[in-house]
Amino acid sequence: MSERNRLRSIGTLVRINGIVPIRTQPFYLVSIIAQPLSFLFFIWIVSRGADLAYGLMGGMVLTMLSVGTGLQSDLTHYRHDMKFQDVVIASPVEAPIYIAGMALSELVYSLPALAVFVALFVYYGYATVSSVAILTGVLLLVWSFGSAFAFTLSTYFQDIRETWAFSPIFSLVLTVLPPVYYPISYLPAWAQIAARFSPTTYAAELVQGAVGLQPLTPTTAEIDWIVLVAFAAALFLIAAFKARWRDP
Amino acid sequence: MSSAIRTEHLSKIYPGSASRTPALADLTLDVPAGRVFGVIGRNGAGKTTFVRIAATQLELTSGRAEVLGYDVMTQARDVRVRIACVPQESRPLYFLNVEEVVYLYLKLRGLDHAEARRRTTEALDELSLTEYRRRPVQRLSGGLRRRTLCAMVLASDADVLFLDEPTTGLDPIARRQVWDAIRRATKEQRTILLTTHYLDEAEALSARLALFERGRLALSGTPEDLRARVRYPFRVTIQGAYSAEELTSYGRLTPIEGGALVFAREPEARELARRALERGQRVSMGPVTLEDIFLEVVGRAIDEETPPAEAEA
Repeated sequence: MSERNRLRSIGTLVRINGIVPIRTQPFYLVSIIAQPLSFLFFIWIVSRGADLAYGLMGGMVLTMLSVGTGLQSDLTHYRHDMKFQDVVIASPVEAPIYIAGMALSELVYSLPALAVFVALFVYYGYATVSSVAILTGVLLLVWSFGSAFAFTLSTYFQDIRETWAFSPIFSLVLTVLPPVYYPISYLPAWAQIAARFSPTTYAAELVQGAVGLQPLTPTTAEIDWIVLVAFAAALFLIAAFKARWRDP
Repeated sequence: MSSAIRTEHLSKIYPGSASRTPALADLTLDVPAGRVFGVIGRNGAGKTTFVRIAATQLELTSGRAEVLGYDVMTQARDVRVRIACVPQESRPLYFLNVEEVVYLYLKLRGLDHAEARRRTTEALDELSLTEYRRRPVQRLSGGLRRRTLCAMVLASDADVLFLDEPTTGLDPIARRQVWDAIRRATKEQRTILLTTHYLDEAEALSARLALFERGRLALSGTPEDLRARVRYPFRVTIQGAYSAEELTSYGRLTPIEGGALVFAREPEARELARRALERGQRVSMGPVTLEDIFLEVVGRAIDEETPPAEAEA
């Protein structure tokens, strides 16, 4: 398949799984934004506006992670209920193209949510060249490793109901328990150590540091980037070698 | 004639199979290019396993399989650019309309807009789907959904098409439309591997056939070859009273409602038909059907359920 055809395939998957379903059912857009906005609202009320910035940063990380991990439900549904993955396997479309297209299509759903968060981000004066660059980099990494993780899992699930069992667990382990919506210093010492096993801790630390919510030394920032990139690379390698594109 | 699909001692045991019963066992098969090759067998006979291995969707356990000379395990990418598949029990994505299912599938395969649009229009027309082209899949009957999937792969640029029970759920007219489209595809020298439960369909479309039973190849060849291999290649149906003892002397007797069905060799079949006519009985004679062959080889009808222990595969 030529590069041009690969791009065409990716664009087609974005249209199939992103644009057409939204055209058919616009409430998909609302469902994506509901959870992060709920958290933001809750934090705004409880902190009387003081911790709004944490809610804002956390909301963006949660949105991107949800978009990534939410892919597992779609992929599992398409694989088992529609046999769409089998149709794709028996075609020139390679697995990385399928993942890229489907992951990008999920990103389409998140655009209104991101637009709201970006508008608030700018409105509250957090937008600087460096904060935007850091935020963009972090969010792309979170989305990409979330998507790779979701793809790998989807190839092991036998039914979409299994994804329903796992989704809340991922949300809890990756966005509620780790300090995505609050500073890590709020956690007791043992929990801070546990939080270090979650990649979103590093993502949150970087975005919170980028807007001045938390002091972030250059060394800590460097470590955070390295860990985040390593997580993403590890999950991509797992997807490349352990995901079941062809059934065993 | 060159091979489109070739297998040698192909076996498949699904991981976790408690009994280690092979879903496919020692299958050596040659599917010639440019024709329809029908695969028939009861549920659990191994048809879909065979299709999924050849279509690179499923790993094999041992042996080898090639499509157009490319190994399905080591050269899967070369295979995939040349094939298209309607999997068993597949459904088109419900939020797309009929035209989008076909058009977007072709775009997904890398065809440009103009070519994809042209092929979509042709395929919808061939399968009488034009009037439904703007209708969302979720508002289609099961038969129209299957027809849409058939249009999708028949419109593709693939050389080898895998159609796994493509006409299940279609009414007789819709089945004929799919048959016509399949026949047209073979005129373009494409190979079609067709699995089906409908023996009349297999017989009407297939240049060659393979009969699978319990993961093994029970019989393969042209419909004429298959007839030649059964003990009694002719069937004579007699309406009215008859002497079972007399009819048994001609061949194998199967009582039917209001008469008898006798499977016989050609001379005995002719003689029996002549005698029945002389007695003024209604009689019909012809070569055995695929269903007759199936019953003789397998010992059960194609729609008879496999016992649970055998159906694991």
